[in-house]
Formats: sequence, C-alpha cells, structure tokens
Amino acid sequence: MSVNAEQQAFEPLIVVFGCNWCSYAGGDLAGTSRMTYPPNVRVIRVPCSSRVNPNFVLRAFQRGADGVVVAGCHPGDCHYVTGNYYARRRLSALRRFLEFIGVEPERFEVHWISGSEGAKFARVMEEVTEKIRALGPNRKMRDVR
Amino acid sequence: MKKISKDKLPQLWDRLAQQATLYLPVEEDGVVNFAPWKEGAAVNLDVINTVVPPKQMVLPQSENYLHFRVDGGKLDLEPVDVDGPYVIFGARPCDVAAIAIIDKLFLDEPCDTLYKERREKGTIISLGCNEPEETCFCTAFELEPAFSPDADVSAWDMGEYLLWKAQGEKGEALTKKMEDLLEDAGADAEKAVESLRNNVASKEAAATKEYGWNAQGVKDALEDKFDSEIWDKLYRRCLGCGVCTYICPTCHCFDVQDFSRGQEGLRFRCWDSCMFGDFTLMAHGENPRPTQKERVRQRFMHKLLYYPSNFDVYACVGCGRCVRKCPVSIDITQVIKEVGGVK
Amino acid sequence: MKQLNDTIKQVAAQSLSRGDVDLVIGWQKGDLWWQSYPAFVENEQDTASLTWDPFCVANLSRYLLEEQEGKNKVAIFVKGCDALGLNQLLQDKRVDREKVYLYGIPCDGLVDHRKLEAEGFKWLSEVRKEGKELVLVGRNGEQKVNARDYMYDKCLTCRYPNPVAYDQMLGEAVEAQPEERFASVKELEEMSADERFTYWANQFSRCIRCFACRNVCPACSCRECIFDIPEPRWLGKAKELSEDQFYHIIRAYHVAGRCVDCGECTRVCPVDLPLQELNRKFIKDINELYGEYDAGVDPETEAPLVTYNTNDPAAFPES
Repeated sequence: MSVNAEQQAFEPLIVVFGCNWCSYAGGDLAGTSRMTYPPNVRVIRVPCSSRVNPNFVLRAFQRGADGVVVAGCHPGDCHYVTGNYYARRRLSALRRFLEFIGVEPERFEVHWISGSEGAKFARVMEEVTEKIRALGPNRKMRDVR
Repeated sequence: MKKISKDKLPQLWDRLAQQATLYLPVEEDGVVNFAPWKEGAAVNLDVINTVVPPKQMVLPQSENYLHFRVDGGKLDLEPVDVDGPYVIFGARPCDVAAIAIIDKLFLDEPCDTLYKERREKGTIISLGCNEPEETCFCTAFELEPAFSPDADVSAWDMGEYLLWKAQGEKGEALTKKMEDLLEDAGADAEKAVESLRNNVASKEAAATKEYGWNAQGVKDALEDKFDSEIWDKLYRRCLGCGVCTYICPTCHCFDVQDFSRGQEGLRFRCWDSCMFGDFTLMAHGENPRPTQKERVRQRFMHKLLYYPSNFDVYACVGCGRCVRKCPVSIDITQVIKEVGGVK
Repeated sequence: MKQLNDTIKQVAAQSLSRGDVDLVIGWQKGDLWWQSYPAFVENEQDTASLTWDPFCVANLSRYLLEEQEGKNKVAIFVKGCDALGLNQLLQDKRVDREKVYLYGIPCDGLVDHRKLEAEGFKWLSEVRKEGKELVLVGRNGEQKVNARDYMYDKCLTCRYPNPVAYDQMLGEAVEAQPEERFASVKELEEMSADERFTYWANQFSRCIRCFACRNVCPACSCRECIFDIPEPRWLGKAKELSEDQFYHIIRAYHVAGRCVDCGECTRVCPVDLPLQELNRKFIKDINELYGEYDAGVDPETEAPLVTYNTNDPAAFPES
C-alpha cells in the first residue's frame, strides 16, 4: 500500500470532552440541524470543561486517540460561572507541556463553543479531523500493548 | 585459561550478539546500566556497579506471561513466549552471587517455571573487580570481589586484555563458540588471577574493617530484635520510596497485575517494593505493616534473618547500591553494626 | 561553618530542655563522609549528634506531615529551599504553623559528593567549608578546592538562599548568585517535536518507577496519591513508555504552580533523570502566561492554577 493510500485509509480517532451546557448542546444542535461532521469524533459529555482532568486527556491518547479536544463555554458564559476560567489556565499549561514532551500541539486543542453554535461545532470537528488525518496516527503517547 | 585483548572485544560482542541478546554495561547520559549490545554502544567496563543490577535480565521489571481474551462467554488463555537466549557480559561477582541467592527461592519447590525458563536461557560472564568502591562490603558476606564461582565464565580485567575462564558446561560451550577470538593465556595467568583476587579482597576487607564491623553472627543477633528500639529510630527518615529494593540485586518481591482492554489483555509479573505503603494492604482494608517502622524493620529482617533462616544464605551481597542511592542515607552496614554482629 | 555546627546543637538542646518543643528535626552524620541525614532528636543529650556540614542537603520540611501528630511543637532547621517547601506545605494546609518552630539557616550551596568522587576525591574523612573553599581531608592530608565547582546543580540556580520563613535565624544572610534556571528548558524548546520526544523517551526509559521523586517532594502531600489508587487504576506497574510518560507528565502537572524548585526530585532520582526540567517548564510557562510566581515564598498567596483572571491569555487560539 503506498503511503498516500495508507494515509487515506487512516481514519483518525478524535475524543472530544464537551461540556454539557454549551459545547455538548452545540453538538446536539448540529445534529438536529442535520449538519454533518465526521464520524471520527467521539464525544464524552462532562458537566463543565473544568471537569476535564489531564489524566483523561493522557488516557485518551494512551488508548488510541489520535487527537483530543476539550470544548467548553466561552469565558464569561460558564454555566458554573468560573469553571472555564480555571480550565483555560490548566489546559493552557497542559498543552504547552505536552508540546514539551514532544506531542504535536495540534493533537490537543481547546475550543469555546456555545450551545447556539451548532455550525461552529460541526466546523471545528471537521477541521480537527482533517488536521489529524494529515498528521497521521498518534504513536507518541499510545500504549502499544 | 584464555585471554582476549580489549580491542578485540567489539568483535567478541558482535559474535555473542549473533546467537543471543547480549547485555553489557552501557553508559548513557552519564548513567551506566545493562543494555543490549549495539555497534558503537558506549560500553563502560570500569564502573564498579551499574545503577540497576543485572537481576533485571533474570527477573525483569515487568514481564507479560499470559494473554487472555473473552469471546462471548468463552475465556481464551495463551501463554506469552519468554524471550530468547541472552548473555550477560560484565556482571560483577556480587551481582552474580545475588542471582544465585534468588535462584534458591525461585527454583526451590514449587519451582517458578517462568523464572526457570528465563534463567536457563541466560549465560553469565562475570568481570572481577580491580578496586573496591567506598561503599563495597561483599567480603563481609564471605564473597570475593574478584571471583564469581557461580558465573558461567569468569573474566578479569588485566589492563590491555581480559583473562577468560570457562566454568561449567554452559561456559565451556560458549568458549568453544568463541574459540577463534580467544588466545591461550599462558602459564602465568592462573597466578596473576590469584594475586589479583587476594589483592582486591584484602583491600576491600581492610576498608570494611575500618568501619568496624562484619556480618558474621548478624542473623543470630537479630533473633530477639523484633521489638528493638533500633527500628523506632531508623524508620523515621525513610521516605517509603522503592529505590533500595529496585536497585538491590537480591530483592525479588513482585506483584501480578492485569492490563485490560475490556475484551482482552495481558497478565504480567512486575517488581514491587515492601517499602511502598500498600505492599501488604489487604483486600479488607487492613495492613499488617501499617507504618513505615514495620516496613523498614521487615526489609532488614528479611535480608539478614528470615532469608538466611530459610535458605542458609544472607540476602545481601554487599554491593553498596542502597547505601549510595538511598536519598536519606539509610545504611545497612549501620544497621548491622547496631544490631551487633559478632566481631 | 563550625560555628553553625555548634549553634545548632546549642539551640536544639535549649529548646528541648526548656520544654519549648517535643522534637527537633535536623541532620546527623553517618559513617561515610558524605552521609548527613535527617535526624529526629527528642532528648537533650542526643542533640550532641546533630550536625551542620556541606552535605546537609535533605529537605526536612516534609517530615512534619508525620511528626506533628500528637506533639505540641516541633523545631526544625530549614535552609532556603527547605523554607520554601515548608511554606508550600502551609499553603496546602498540611502543616500547622502554630506547631512548628523554625530555625532558619542561610545557605550558599551544598556539596554533591558525587561530583567530588567523579574527580577522584574518595575515601575522605572530613569535608569542611571555609569561606568559598572546601577543605578535603583524606588519606594524603588536606586539599582545598573551589566549593562552587562541586555544588549540586540545584544550588547553582538558587534564588532564595536565605529562608523566607523562620522564627529564629541562625547565621549571616548570604547573597544569592543564581545562574539562569531556564537554560535547559529553553534548549529543549528549541528542538523539534520529534527530537524532544526522542529525548524524553530515552530519559523515561531509564525510570524505574521507584517514586523517590514523589515521596521527597514537599508539594506532593496528598493523603492518597492518585498513582496509588487501585480502582480506577490510573497507573499500572508495567515498565512501558506510555506508563512512564503518564507518571511523569501527571506528577509534573499536579505540582504545577506549587513546585518550589527545590530540586530534591532530581537529587534523589537513582537514574539521574532531569526531573527539574519538567517542573521548570511549567514554572516558565505559568510565569509567561499568568505572571511571575514563586511558590513557597508567601503561603498566603494563591497558587496560579487554582485561581484565574477573567482576561487571562490562553495557550491556544480563542476564536
């Protein structure tokens, strides 16, 4: 199989941690509005983006995720008022650190997607999937057993 | 007795590596540990002890031994193949003695067949020490720094060349395979080795005597020390990490864990440390060694009383790694001194 | 240094004999010249065993976690780095300040015996600090060397040599002369992602998961560490790169914003992993993004990752 064909055959696995009140709702809206986005995306609903423990992000990579997205409310609009402010700091630190360890920064992204931004949800998922598809499978954090 | 000049060693290693995985002391980032031979590897035969002893070849830090799969109510079990034959080159006599010490436990009835299979695939070439480290005390346990009776081949560093002596069947077989790379050592070789052995042993013994103790009688002295105050004082600075146990050539406690991916997975054996808080934590939540005091006491009792009571040999070879690497300088030689081995 | 050695014994003896404290935590000598280890003295007569010499590097502050139980007051000697660690324990509400009496010791650097051994200085009987020099007493007499050449790397970048927390300061204040502490981090940042990955993969492959780094760290004081929880098991015991990565990344993250840069983790690692670089990466990023912050200087401040500003920048595009 040529490299190109192999790459085309590669279907990235993207794990998305979406906050219940905004991003997940945005995802629901995308769905009910019949907007398509790639089936490569697996969404895990969390109450708030600040619920996302870095353990989750690493575990996703260990178990085969090629990309991880954390999606939350826009800063200032967090359903729990301040959750995403904490998330912004923590996930920023984590993202830079993962880059330091050698993981491509494009593999871990954070997006603010509100409940009314169904189109944004679909667009972000589409863009992330294509970016990861071009990067190829994640080998660096994978547990190979 | 054979000999091989040092500049021929890479050829020897290449040859050894063709028939087995060859492990020898390799330096990386300033740390010397046993690693598989690769051409151009920074082999370091001068450092007395690697950080991690070669026990890791015989009892790896983790080894998968069972593959399991659940397929609609049916459980499939498949043993994982043990790696192929290997050679350990440059193991110090203390480390080889340590392997012989844990052999007594693993190969005793009921025999640990996994250990046995892996052990039998190995050939050990020991390299005698020319100098003791400040932290060496193998002579206190009646071992010799420059001679390993348990090795398959004994080697000695004579400066420009190594001397090489086969010991036993495995050693003879290996020597035959390397015949063309080895020369005859000549009539004086045996004498040179004897002289080296005596030299290094007496140097080391003198140094350990300077610190004023030996290990004879320590086992008997410990019989009534279970409730001694020694442990109350000693344990307090212990951090409860696993450094001493993991770098100790005779420590061999292990855990069995599963790595599961839901429908299938691997069962593996892995190193565990009696220093960890949860080492003896029971399923019902109680822990017979609840504080670090019990755990520290256990470590020294095991090495100096329980193991010798069961197997007639101390589970310490005086390599000194724990003395060097303990972050808070807990020192087994100090313990022995305090317990009061017979002079 | 000899003066401090005597002072330490005196103040310890005094505080015990007066009943001010139940316990004094300091250092004492072992048999080998470089062994100066944590000592726990409860009787006046035992204070004679306390010592202060160039090898008293062990951070004593975390022993308070265990030792303050059932005691009225514990006295402890703290160097600059130890005081930072202590403040962090206070900030994390793990130590009761009322129960602690701090003897502060200004310290301009301690000696890494391995650096001496690497240059052939072994079988010594004593090592003394005299001004900026070390006096090495061995079998062939005495020799003098430049102290700074043999100090721990962590001492060379020390920015708080004088304890920021103390009840009584023993000794004269010293001047901080820190080298740039982010030099190695910057070097690594210059590499490509793949080069960095290879670098860390090589480092982690040496890790034997002994947890010495975690156990010695003053910022790691959780009653139940996440790596010890059996269910759900976040970290298995297998020697696999992904497990090694998980451990080091998550531990560095958990102490991010609370690491006082004491360097104990790097000192205790048996296989010489450059652990401080991991912690310093977090410190550097947090400084850049959220303002300069030195953990352990003021226990009343809030650690940067448990607080926020509404207009914080982010390390990702916020469209």
